[in-house]
Amino acid sequence: MINVYLLIFKRFIFLVLLQGLIFNNFNFFDTYDPYVCLVFIITFPVKVEKITFMIISFAFGFALDLYSNSLGINTAACLSIAFLRSYILNFVFGSFYDPHGIKLIKNYVSESTFSQKLLYISSIILIHHLVLFSLETFSFEFISLIMFKTLITSLISLIFCSTFIYIMIENEK
Amino acid sequence: MQQIIDFIIRKKDVVVYLILLIFSLTLVFNSNYFHKSKVLIFSNSIANYSTENFNYLKEYFELKKINSNLLEENLFLKNQLEKINKNISLDSLTNINFSYKNAKVISNNLSSFKNRLVINKGIKDGLKNEMGVINSDGIIGIVNYTSKNYSSIMSILNIETKINAKIKKTSHFGTLEWDGLSTKYLKLNDIPETAKIKIGDSIVTGGMSLIFPEGIKIGVVSKISKHENQVTSYSVRSGNNDAFKYESRENYLNIKVKLNTDMSNLNNVYIIESLNREEFQKVKK
Repeated sequence: MINVYLLIFKRFIFLVLLQGLIFNNFNFFDTYDPYVCLVFIITFPVKVEKITFMIISFAFGFALDLYSNSLGINTAACLSIAFLRSYILNFVFGSFYDPHGIKLIKNYVSESTFSQKLLYISSIILIHHLVLFSLETFSFEFISLIMFKTLITSLISLIFCSTFIYIMIENEK
Repeated sequence: MQQIIDFIIRKKDVVVYLILLIFSLTLVFNSNYFHKSKVLIFSNSIANYSTENFNYLKEYFELKKINSNLLEENLFLKNQLEKINKNISLDSLTNINFSYKNAKVISNNLSSFKNRLVINKGIKDGLKNEMGVINSDGIIGIVNYTSKNYSSIMSILNIETKINAKIKKTSHFGTLEWDGLSTKYLKLNDIPETAKIKIGDSIVTGGMSLIFPEGIKIGVVSKISKHENQVTSYSVRSGNNDAFKYESRENYLNIKVKLNTDMSNLNNVYIIESLNREEFQKVKK
């Protein structure tokens, strides 16, 4: 169990710095940044209790907020997907999902079909971006803008996140 | 009572989620207030410190470009000084309205709807809220929060920023806003249809608010379009029952302005301090 927390801590620091220092200045097509930091929540060990998971995600979002000069937006978005992840896992993987966490997240990714992987990663990314951008503007005036930006940014994030996860899992083998 | 406690224990995930969510939402909506808390100042300065050091590394790759930009600006300023020296009157020296300070950009993001920059000067160097920030190419933003060593700037690429601007040739005033998508274009509103504008006309700051001095370049007009949904018509009855129809066309132009500044590549910036600001605001009240 201590090993798990050490791993989480390492990923926390690494991904916050990666996102804050490099990917926040990526500016794909002028204004779209990939949110690689979501790898932290996508690959968070399943066996850790949900409340602990939410508190760690809260801290993770807060650290991201400090790097993007915005308060609370990333925090709320990360917290929300941490809360929703068990439901998403249950929905996507169905009977394969076990809430007690004997299976590792590696098993979920390697032993499932392509569409399941895609659905799992993309739904987490979509929800995160939707919460993030709507909290940022917080008005109905910009609703079409929010949708447009959510879609484009999600696509970019999806490409980056799945590449990142692929590399991570290949390395662990 | 027992039932309520049981309910909370059963739904403890949801309860924890809601508590944390409420906390983060208060952070969002009271961010100005929370900026002053000690914990945040401490943690924010860690973030700023690490980005600053990382930027030193990045800066080396751009040294050539920065150097040539500075040279160009120096040349421009020298030319201007020559012009002024010819017809200088000593009285004008005592009548300074603005003073400039320099600073370096530490972090700059373009991806959100409310983009902010952080620069490496703060209260220690005499920075205050609502000072204008420019670089050699044009305007960049307005200081909106200052801490001891750093200050954050509301960039012009922020959907809340509104900047007073005018067309250099015709002196029509308007308001500059960002549409939230492209980092190279802004919208100029409130310019009446009667204004004779052509593509390529330059847009400069209006100087109505004392944040920016008048005449700092912003960009050029790249597209003009009309929207005619604001037509109000009314009729007036004259003596012999003929109805005259008058149309008041309060039409405004939609002007797209191409920014002169490359917002994705900012290094050295200048902060403008208006020396008569307090006096101006007293009169304005």
